[in-house]
Amino acid sequence: MASASERSYTRRDTVMFVACLVLSLVGLFSPAAWGLSIAASLRETVLAPLVWLQARAEEGKTSRVRFRAITAQRDSASYLAQGLPSLVAENERLRQLLALSRRLSGPYVPAEVLHQAQATDGRTLLLSAGSRDGISVFDPVVAPEGLLGVVLNASERTSILMTWAHPEFRVSAFTVTGNAAGVVAPSLAATGGDGSLEFRGVPYRDSVPVGTLVLSSGLGGVYPKGIPVGTVTGIVREQAGWERVYRLLPAANPGSAAHVLVLVPPKADLSRAFPTDSALRAERLDSLNRLRVADSVARTARLAKARRADSLAAQRRDTTRARPRRAVPAPPPPGAAPPPAVPAPSDGAPPSSGLPFSAGDSAR
Amino acid sequence: MIPARANRIQLGVVLLLLVVLHFYVRPRLWAPRASPDFLFVALMLFAMRSPPGAAALAGFAVGLIGDALTPARFGAAALAHTIVGYVGSWARAVFFADNLLVNAAFVAGGLWVRDCILLAASGGGGKSLFTELAVYSPLQAITSALFALIVLVVFREWFSIRLDA
Repeated sequence: MASASERSYTRRDTVMFVACLVLSLVGLFSPAAWGLSIAASLRETVLAPLVWLQARAEEGKTSRVRFRAITAQRDSASYLAQGLPSLVAENERLRQLLALSRRLSGPYVPAEVLHQAQATDGRTLLLSAGSRDGISVFDPVVAPEGLLGVVLNASERTSILMTWAHPEFRVSAFTVTGNAAGVVAPSLAATGGDGSLEFRGVPYRDSVPVGTLVLSSGLGGVYPKGIPVGTVTGIVREQAGWERVYRLLPAANPGSAAHVLVLVPPKADLSRAFPTDSALRAERLDSLNRLRVADSVARTARLAKARRADSLAAQRRDTTRARPRRAVPAPPPPGAAPPPAVPAPSDGAPPSSGLPFSAGDSAR
Repeated sequence: MIPARANRIQLGVVLLLLVVLHFYVRPRLWAPRASPDFLFVALMLFAMRSPPGAAALAGFAVGLIGDALTPARFGAAALAHTIVGYVGSWARAVFFADNLLVNAAFVAGGLWVRDCILLAASGGGGKSLFTELAVYSPLQAITSALFALIVLVVFREWFSIRLDA
């Protein structure tokens, strides 16, 4: 390498410079297609390794960026997945509410339930709609499942809903079969946390079977006719032979209500909005039957378990005794306690001897 | 090994390193328009240690690479790099050869001149030309000069750089 002092400004350098300059100018002023084809051929041949190197660098950079994006997407997805079950449940409730709003013939105002942290939240609920939206006091409030309560107070933007769990809640009702009428009120034990309703004032002669749907009757003018209030689950008490009080399983649950419909005047007959035909009744009875069947299966399982425990106990007694004689079984001693009673098989269960092992097995 | 030949090999190693940096590291850097032009730094380091003819030829080659990889105007980069390489080598004979700041200033000034010729030869102009020459080109010149300083300091023995100058 020549130092600065030794470098000479030779003619050869000038020629090379001029040659490069001319070539550059030729390339510059040649048709664009020529330049592009030369550039392409250079990229495909001499510059191919450099292009490959740059492609790897870009790929690495892109992979890093893509990795970051995928990580961010994964984090977002996991964050969203945490709230997915509640979103699905809310979606289902909104769909039900939408179906109900289509069936409603009268006017209504949709509202959100703003749950509070207080323990009495189930008795009164704060609604996100108020008098500005057309809500007034004593407007009934329904959920897709049935009656929730009545508006107790309506301010401009919010309103207070008195649910069926409130001690002062009353609604005139009748059974879906139409054979009994009465008044539905919260259970006396409801304030203690029972969470059920009572169907009071039913004449003694009117027997209401379990599973009967109870609807609002429309008497009194507050609640429209035909809103499901609850399902009869049993008799609470009978008073002096002239009245029966039935326990009702409430149709709508205030604790899980997130979106409700406030029925504003004029109130129409809602018997079509909440289908109470024989199919629905049959469905409800069927579910009760299913519960009964499930109960019987559980009972059978319990019996089988007890039987198995008994047989195991008997086997243990046999093995702790001396080797029994095979020919003649030993009679029980006179003062000995009788063997534990084996419950009789029920519900078509196969009969069992109670001793699953033979004497030979116990002697082993 | 003959000293001149050893110097050529050392220069070749550094230039190869700069080429690799240009094609493998530069695409990963934060701002492509302000990132140092490693290939131009390599050209200037070579030009300042070579006869003007060889520097012009190297500039032509570097420009040809630029023309092949950036489909703007074929020949413009070759022209710009040829001129800058030749002038850099010629100017090197005038100024101090082993001064660190002179080397860095050559890189910065040469890059800005290169951009001027390149943009003028490529056509177009107006506001974008002004922005390019007033903002991005100086930025890239500064980063390239800084990087050239680092290279010269690291390889000062190979480049016979005087740090006390």
